Amino acid sequence: MEDAQSKEYVQRMIDYVVSEVIQRPVELNADTLLVSSGLIDSLALVNILQYLEDVTHMRIPASKVQPKDMDSVALMLATARRVGKPRK
Amino acid sequence: MKLKHHSSQRQFRTLTEALLAAPQDRPFITDWIDEDEIHTVTFGEFTRAARLRAVALRKLGVKFGETVIVVMPQGIPLMTTFAGAMLLGAIPTILAYPSFKVDAAKYKSGLMGVSRNLRAAFVVVDDGFPEDLIAHVSAADGARVVRTSEMSLEVDESDFPDITNSPDGLAFIQHSAGTTGLQKGVALTHRAVLTQLDHLAKAIAITSEDRIYSWLPLYHDMGLIACFMLPLVHHVPVIMQSPLEWVMRPGTMLELISTYRCTLAWVPNFALQFLARRVRPEDRSRYELSSLRGLINCSEPVRAASIDEFITAYERHGLDSKALKSSYAMAENVFGVTQSEITGSPRRIWVDGRRLAQTNVAVPVSNTAAQALCFVSSGRCLSGNSVRIVSPARQDLSDYEVGEIVIRSDSLFDGYYNRPDLSAAVCIDGWYWTGDLGFCADGELYVTGRKKDLIIVAGKNIYPQDIEEIVSRHPAIHDGRVVAFGLYNEERGTEDIVVAAELENGVRTDIKEIERNIRDAIVSELDVAPRAVFLKPPAWIVKSTAGKPARSTTRDKLLHEHLELA
Repeated sequence: MEDAQSKEYVQRMIDYVVSEVIQRPVELNADTLLVSSGLIDSLALVNILQYLEDVTHMRIPASKVQPKDMDSVALMLATARRVGKPRK
Repeated sequence: MKLKHHSSQRQFRTLTEALLAAPQDRPFITDWIDEDEIHTVTFGEFTRAARLRAVALRKLGVKFGETVIVVMPQGIPLMTTFAGAMLLGAIPTILAYPSFKVDAAKYKSGLMGVSRNLRAAFVVVDDGFPEDLIAHVSAADGARVVRTSEMSLEVDESDFPDITNSPDGLAFIQHSAGTTGLQKGVALTHRAVLTQLDHLAKAIAITSEDRIYSWLPLYHDMGLIACFMLPLVHHVPVIMQSPLEWVMRPGTMLELISTYRCTLAWVPNFALQFLARRVRPEDRSRYELSSLRGLINCSEPVRAASIDEFITAYERHGLDSKALKSSYAMAENVFGVTQSEITGSPRRIWVDGRRLAQTNVAVPVSNTAAQALCFVSSGRCLSGNSVRIVSPARQDLSDYEVGEIVIRSDSLFDGYYNRPDLSAAVCIDGWYWTGDLGFCADGELYVTGRKKDLIIVAGKNIYPQDIEEIVSRHPAIHDGRVVAFGLYNEERGTEDIVVAAELENGVRTDIKEIERNIRDAIVSELDVAPRAVFLKPPAWIVKSTAGKPARSTTRDKLLHEHLELA
């Protein structure tokens, strides 16, 4: 991914997690641990994964995603790059 | 009231005998990962892979009669490892694989509790299984944890041991559904499983032309028995995908049924509503569901509204409304106890909701009567199964009287694995006390809810499912993500109703209005007012291993967050 695009993806993911999942003002960056720190509940990850697909225009096979792959926005984007496929 | 059905004949003596007798070239499992990655094996390929796994397990030291825990991602390698252990005469059991949507702490403690109780000699995990979780599956003294890469498949199939399983030997252990850690092991003999499958196959009139579709997890009886053991024994193909993939893209289920012309599938009730609401109408034109002759609603109370919503959504896409069936099943009985008529729709009756709440009797009324409650039949008993409806004083009840469902069958377990303490209370004189409530009418069973979940408000019996269904209808509420429970009010000397419901993503406004609408709907339909309605953000409700809202754990979470309720 291009650097500028990568930054845009990170920001969109952070905005989504704050506004749609945490739903209160909180400082997040790409490396903030989300689930293991207790900031979000793992059950919210299905919606986050769907949003990740929309942001990256990738199809991400859910069965290839491990808990550790979703613990920060940076890890999520790395997962999309690793197992994602271009959407048809 | 007692419902009864007599036994029939079986073809094979053991599950392994059934597998080895399968036509080699017939397709068995198609594991659909996505459009670009589809793995298919024939019975011959599957059997060979299972034999290689058996030889590899034997080389690692697994012996006849030893328990083997298998914790692998859903897919063909998991299934061949399971079958390989059975071929070796070992006793495999599948535990849930860690998933990103399951809380890590709960998963760890659950895994620890379940694996400790199993006292397994071997634990097989795949290479991706997180290292930090290994300690949580090796709780039994001397248990050996093996990664699949250590199971060399470069073995000679001729090393396959000459082992003959006994019909009365244990085939495998499955677990009852429940929140992780509270699952109880049910050890099953080859005879019990084959007996159940024989009855089930007869009830659904399975033939070699059938194709089963499944997204169900294999650590749950509905997935393991109906969608793995049934096709294994009856030599029919199964098209499967991972539960997570289905949750992410529910429409893929309908796509696979259309593409592979599947005829049978089992789903819990919530899935019907989920499929009706979550699949975009513009995506539905590519579905052609006319091949489906049995979409069997199972493992939670069957709701007419969910069935109707699904039919309305997909009737124009070839769905035969008569394909919607119902069944009452549980791990303790291997699987099915009852099954609705395979040639028609399950019966429905409408009963006077007020009298049901006050007297525990389901008095039939017209479907337009005020406070008429609709119940869908779970069908008649399978062969060899009997059902009684029993009062709290342990007296048998008559038709239409609601009481605890008590079952007996020729495939019934005889107690939870290594848990005689839990077994004594529920296994009495050969009958299993299910903890479910229901009534019988005209030879069919109607399940009304769980005994422990029943809410009693000033002497009125209220089923949380009825409240949950009413709340779920609100468009701002995420379908199936509602929990209702009773909370004892000392001042009033009775229970209050408390409701927690998840809002749909993006719902921000009119919270008070939504709450008021929900309250009004509950009062108008059930004639009781909830004490509190809590509207929660998405993914707040705790789910069980079977994917259903876990009522008691969610209740604890709510009480923890809202100390004012105490």
